[in-house]
Amino acid sequence: MTISKPPGAVRSKTGFWPNNRATIIGVAVLALIIVIVPFTASSSLMNIAVFSMIFALPAIGLSLLMGLAGQVSLGQAAFFAIGAYTHAILLQKFEMPGVVAAVGGVVAAMLAALLVGLPMLRLRGHYLALATLGLGFIVMIAVREWEFTGRTTGIYGYGRPEVFGVPIDNNGLFFWFVAPFVLIGLVLALNLTRSRAGRALSAVNDSELAAESLGVNTYALRVKVFTLSAGFAGLGGVFYAYQVQIVSPQVAEFHVSVELLLMVVIGGLGSVWGAIAGAFIVELLSEGLRDLIPAIIPGATGEVQLIGYGIVLILVILLLPGGLYQAARTSWAAIRRGIRPRSRAADAAAPAVPDGTADTGAGEVPTRAFGGLAGGTSAAADAALLAADLPAVSTPVAAGEPILEVRGLTKRYGGVVAVDDVSFTVPAGRIMGLIGPNGAGKTTCFNMITGAITPTAGTVSFLGEEIQGRKPHVGAERGLTRTFQNLQVFSSTDVVGNVYMGRYRKGRAGILRGMLGLQGREQYTHEAVARDILDSMRLGEFAQLAAGDLPFGRQRMMEVCRALAAEPALLLLDEPMAGLSGQEREMLAGLLRRLRDAGLTIVLVEHDVAQVMALADSVAVLDDGVLIAHGDPETVRNDPAVIVAYLGTDAEEAEAELKELEEQA
Amino acid sequence: MIDFLQLTAAGLSQGSVYALLAVGLIATYTVRHVVNIAQGDYATLAGLGSISLVSAGLPLPLAILVALVSVTLASVLIERLVIARVKNLTTLVSIILTLGVSTLLQAIMLLVWGAEGRRLAAFPGSDLDLGGVSIRSQELWMLGTLVIVGGGILLFYEKTRWGKALRASAEQPVAARIVGISPAVASVLAFAIAGLAGAAAGVVSSPIYLSIWSGGLLLGLKGFVAAVLGGLVSFRAAIVGALLLGVLESYVAGYVASGWKDAVAFFILIIVLIIRPAGLVLRPNAVRV
Repeated sequence: MTISKPPGAVRSKTGFWPNNRATIIGVAVLALIIVIVPFTASSSLMNIAVFSMIFALPAIGLSLLMGLAGQVSLGQAAFFAIGAYTHAILLQKFEMPGVVAAVGGVVAAMLAALLVGLPMLRLRGHYLALATLGLGFIVMIAVREWEFTGRTTGIYGYGRPEVFGVPIDNNGLFFWFVAPFVLIGLVLALNLTRSRAGRALSAVNDSELAAESLGVNTYALRVKVFTLSAGFAGLGGVFYAYQVQIVSPQVAEFHVSVELLLMVVIGGLGSVWGAIAGAFIVELLSEGLRDLIPAIIPGATGEVQLIGYGIVLILVILLLPGGLYQAARTSWAAIRRGIRPRSRAADAAAPAVPDGTADTGAGEVPTRAFGGLAGGTSAAADAALLAADLPAVSTPVAAGEPILEVRGLTKRYGGVVAVDDVSFTVPAGRIMGLIGPNGAGKTTCFNMITGAITPTAGTVSFLGEEIQGRKPHVGAERGLTRTFQNLQVFSSTDVVGNVYMGRYRKGRAGILRGMLGLQGREQYTHEAVARDILDSMRLGEFAQLAAGDLPFGRQRMMEVCRALAAEPALLLLDEPMAGLSGQEREMLAGLLRRLRDAGLTIVLVEHDVAQVMALADSVAVLDDGVLIAHGDPETVRNDPAVIVAYLGTDAEEAEAELKELEEQA
Repeated sequence: MIDFLQLTAAGLSQGSVYALLAVGLIATYTVRHVVNIAQGDYATLAGLGSISLVSAGLPLPLAILVALVSVTLASVLIERLVIARVKNLTTLVSIILTLGVSTLLQAIMLLVWGAEGRRLAAFPGSDLDLGGVSIRSQELWMLGTLVIVGGGILLFYEKTRWGKALRASAEQPVAARIVGISPAVASVLAFAIAGLAGAAAGVVSSPIYLSIWSGGLLLGLKGFVAAVLGGLVSFRAAIVGALLLGVLESYVAGYVASGWKDAVAFFILIIVLIIRPAGLVLRPNAVRV
């Protein structure tokens, strides 16, 4: 459902904190170019420069939509046109001051986006793309047919802008007029991509379910980003109206949307810098082709530049799916390797470069780190280490009070009943184990409790509030979080970035604060907490590694860290022990006990029956979707129904197996 | 009343063009999950191609046959050279990619045939007069083409072993490969069918609706709207939807203003997506966690 990107190509793995220095240098260089260009450029180049600045705005918006929301708009020109028309009409028909008219243009574009986005972004995948495409045609037809918008002639006869009494009446001045807005837009967009909201959406593109289970309201964020992206387009339209002095239906034509899409694709899906570079390249390409094609093919008229658009669009997607951004990163990495050919250790510690050396590094570090542990560090020493900095938990209700109540929970798939009328209550500050043979419906239960799937019947109340059938972020916001049986790692970021996402629910900063960069302190605190949690689980050394490069067992531990970072009141662990070594299991079990003592409620699904019996205060047994037993471990262990369900029909053999398990435990 | 019936007849014939395009779109969507933006360009390409062949002296039936075969091959070529080259092609990327193909095809048509719309010679036959409602013979050809080509494709998919296998390869690529259906073959076949359906729509409608380089996009999108009415999977629902769309457009053009005609489809698209999204979803892609 997100735009397919080859791993590491589009949103390359970077360190947790992006290199701000590089951004500052980049913005400074761009600002310098902007100051110089009008003095040096020829008039035709100046024309291209002005239009690439104007179109850079909608392109930045589109790149945010594609990169952050994982959605494509094929009707970006519609919002551009709405901005341009509103601006021109407010100036010409209502004689409003320029600033007011401009704000009106931007707001109108955003409102249109909100109207389309609210229903469409509920749907998955490609429907927004097609709906925006339809909107593009509707807008074009509407302005062409409507008397108010001047039909095919359009709106004209409004003044040029003035800044402090200076009329902006040539390309050089206009360039300086629009460029600051592009620069500011660029900085706002860059800030947004690395803000709390930006990181959350980036996590959504890796695993929507995991992100939502940490409290991310994907839908609301996507609507906001889509609206924002239309705002950028509307602003571009405002400048367009000023520059060309006539707004006609041409501005809403489909090939304008294609042009904008091409800018973003060339620049690299989701790269804000790439969008600006793409805008300039496409404008250059367009001008060049308009001159070139008629020279090659006599008599060619009209939109001949389209041939270049088509070829470039296909070639970029086939050969360079990450666009210029990817190309720039790859060459930069190659240059760096050239400068420092032998720095494997540095590579392992530094932000992982997706080039294979990181793998070697990841393979090496764990042996070093866990050599000490395997070499005889006692569980007691671990306990001491862990007790020192136990992750914080929420205790909204007193221990023993019910925190989670499941009543009559049922899930049917067609004729198959996966979970049948399951009811239980989990008291706060206890560990409950949920066990059962494969396919008994344990994970389905989890998914219904956390909101990943909607139950066919039954209720789930968490802290007294019914949350069944609601999106996972609803429970997560209230302190219910989980880990996954099939790992859901945010592979586009590093280990600490994953755990940082767990802090999402504890953060406050929204899109606006994110864009303005007013959340540095908040992010810093959360990062520190994330690192502490990693340290307490002995994963601190891997903080900087790409999450996907961790070995399986440690990815699982990382997910537990991520869930704990949310300071949950109720933690649901889906087979947390699977793939862990003996020591790791001991460590995790110890941690869970101490967390429980600190007041955390834990429900865990586990295959390792011995572990569950040793760890849990109560055990529930599911078989074939039915809850066949629920009680303290001793009672459940001796329940004949459980023995039969678990170990087959032969009760005697089951006893023997169970004895063996007990001895192990 | 005569007006109404006249508009209905015109709408049905126009709808049959959308129906053929919808059939082509569904053919590729069910097999590859590709939303082919270039579907409508197949129609204009075939229309313009057959016009050139006729003016080069070929008899009409032969010109049409050559145009149909060429566009079918072009569609297969597009599949091999572009679509098949992308690994893990998501629907969203397929939209961007086929948008590139569509833009390229349009530009080529603009350069080869120029910016003016052209008209193919009308097919043989005499117009029909049913109590004041006149139906042009070309409109009957259009409806007939829908019945033969559209119906043929529908029967192929629903009744033949090969057709069922094609669908199976979309549902279960691995299982399909085990029973001997190569996904590559399935994909090529689907694009061939899409090319044929688009080309047939293009040649049969050219005498009335002109063929113009830029016309394909809008045609294809209207086909898509019809396909969405069919949930992107049901040929029958899409054909019915396409005919309704044609008729509705015809009423808007007749009773409101012809300029607004093209907006009808997109209002329908957005309204349908808002009120019946669940009916449009092919399969909820459940994630195992």
